[in-house]
Amino acid sequence: MARFHPFHAAAVLAVLGVAVFPLYWMFVTSLTPSDQLFADRPQLLPSLAQLPTYIEAWSGTSLRHWLFNSIIVAVGTTALSIVLAILPAYALSRMDFRGKLLFGFALFLTQMLPEAMLVVPLYDIFTKLSLLNTLLGLILANAAFTVPVVTWILKGAIDAVPYEIEEAARIDGCSRIGIVLAVVVPLIAPTLAAAAVIAFFHGWNEYVFAQTFISDDQWRTASVGLASFIGELSTPVHTVMAVGFIYTVPAVVFYLFVQRYVVAGMTSGGVKG
Amino acid sequence: MTRPPSHDTAIAARKTDPSRWLPMVFIAPVTLYLLAFQFYPLVQQFFLSVTSTSLLNPGSSTFVGADNYRELLTDPEFAQSLRVTVVYTVVCVVGSIFLGLMAALLLDRPFRGRGLARALVTVPWAAPPVAAALIFTWMYNAQYGLFSRLSQFLGFSAGGVNWLDEPSMALPAILITTLWQIFPFSAVVILAALQGVPSELREAAVIDGADRFSVFKAVVWPTIRPTVTLLTLLITVWSLRRFDVIWLMTQGGPLGETNTLVIDLYRRAFVYLDLGKAAAVGVIGLVIAVLVTVIYFWVSQRTEAATGKR
Repeated sequence: MARFHPFHAAAVLAVLGVAVFPLYWMFVTSLTPSDQLFADRPQLLPSLAQLPTYIEAWSGTSLRHWLFNSIIVAVGTTALSIVLAILPAYALSRMDFRGKLLFGFALFLTQMLPEAMLVVPLYDIFTKLSLLNTLLGLILANAAFTVPVVTWILKGAIDAVPYEIEEAARIDGCSRIGIVLAVVVPLIAPTLAAAAVIAFFHGWNEYVFAQTFISDDQWRTASVGLASFIGELSTPVHTVMAVGFIYTVPAVVFYLFVQRYVVAGMTSGGVKG
Repeated sequence: MTRPPSHDTAIAARKTDPSRWLPMVFIAPVTLYLLAFQFYPLVQQFFLSVTSTSLLNPGSSTFVGADNYRELLTDPEFAQSLRVTVVYTVVCVVGSIFLGLMAALLLDRPFRGRGLARALVTVPWAAPPVAAALIFTWMYNAQYGLFSRLSQFLGFSAGGVNWLDEPSMALPAILITTLWQIFPFSAVVILAALQGVPSELREAAVIDGADRFSVFKAVVWPTIRPTVTLLTLLITVWSLRRFDVIWLMTQGGPLGETNTLVIDLYRRAFVYLDLGKAAAVGVIGLVIAVLVTVIYFWVSQRTEAATGKR
């Protein structure tokens, strides 16, 4: 290990401090008694005596339902994106076909569309399909934005799979789809995981569709539920922060575990397109 | 398949693939899906942008040709929105790449606990945008927010000011929040690119007595430049698309100082109920995004050719 450089160490600590502080502050605020919150001096450390705030946040709000809905949306978005993306990713990587360039470009173009731009026409479509106020509608809207990214990432991974492996399977009489599912998919499992994480986070974080397409409180997601507290005054600040913290921490912890794959996936396949 | 197996088998097999329809089967589901949920709505927006349509009565719309676009060109609110978008995007790109590069260089050197440090720096990137908007809104609170208390403590102001309500401070406040969220992405991507810097070259430069900045300029920068170009594109497109943080913190205010194109589009649709003009804003925004991408590919191809010649 290198020598200890005080300046370097201080700089690293400063960067990490900036990165982590806002979430720490969210946590401290959630565990600050109301009277202290508005005192002259801010309280810099959490008071553990305030832990019941979390019980209140959990059972006093609709947080449980929101989180459950968010999980459904995030998992659904992930599953749909992966299922839809595997075969086109394979086709882009391995097959020649008419309109391939156009297909690839169209996938890329979708990355430039802001969600907010499609809110109005999608609202119209969902009204006709009776998909308003359904989690399925949110999944369909979200996956439309993640499928192209996932496809590009998986294409990058399939590019790296040696063709000879497939050849062997083909000589053994496997169909092309059989080869993709039985041979290619297991080989790109790490990238598949990275793509899944990206899709999951998209679904977990998504706000504008969930805000516009869901009016029934029963189907609200956590992002919209939490957003409804911003600028609202009747719920105590520490309860709001507790709700925010409960919504944030699982995502952050999950990400810390899987980030190694995500970075590899993002930098190898996805961004080459 | 009587040909003897050779090095070219793979390519030959690909070229002589007997089934022309199989690739179509492979791309059909995703094509139908994206046609329904991306391209059909996009086309609808194009059509909407040449009509006058109210959100209150979307069924009846009248064709107005290019009127929406013409009116936008003389609309001071739209001009301001373009200006805000440019400032917001440029600061996001430059700021997050600069901060990301600094963080990456710090975390590239070996030290104890580097793995943990690299993980912790990504925390803001993993936090949901709505949560970021919530905590920063609270930190900007006029009386009890940390920023207000801090500037009061340091004697910069008497306190009691919410930056999000100040026309001159709202955009910087939004930018601080955004940069906090996205700089880890730049850091992590640049960090990965730094692994490709040839260490012999760096050592040789140090032995030759090059100072740190010259080493960076001569050895490190050329290696990571393609990555930085790519980050520029990604962050530009994301900044043009970003909705949640800005909408939740300021809704484009005060006085339109944080009203980026996407926010402007949403406001025109859902606050002014003017779907036609909202769609026109969206189309203009999309054209800008496509132009940026085309320029990116043009520039990266040119630099690739230029470096190839050397």
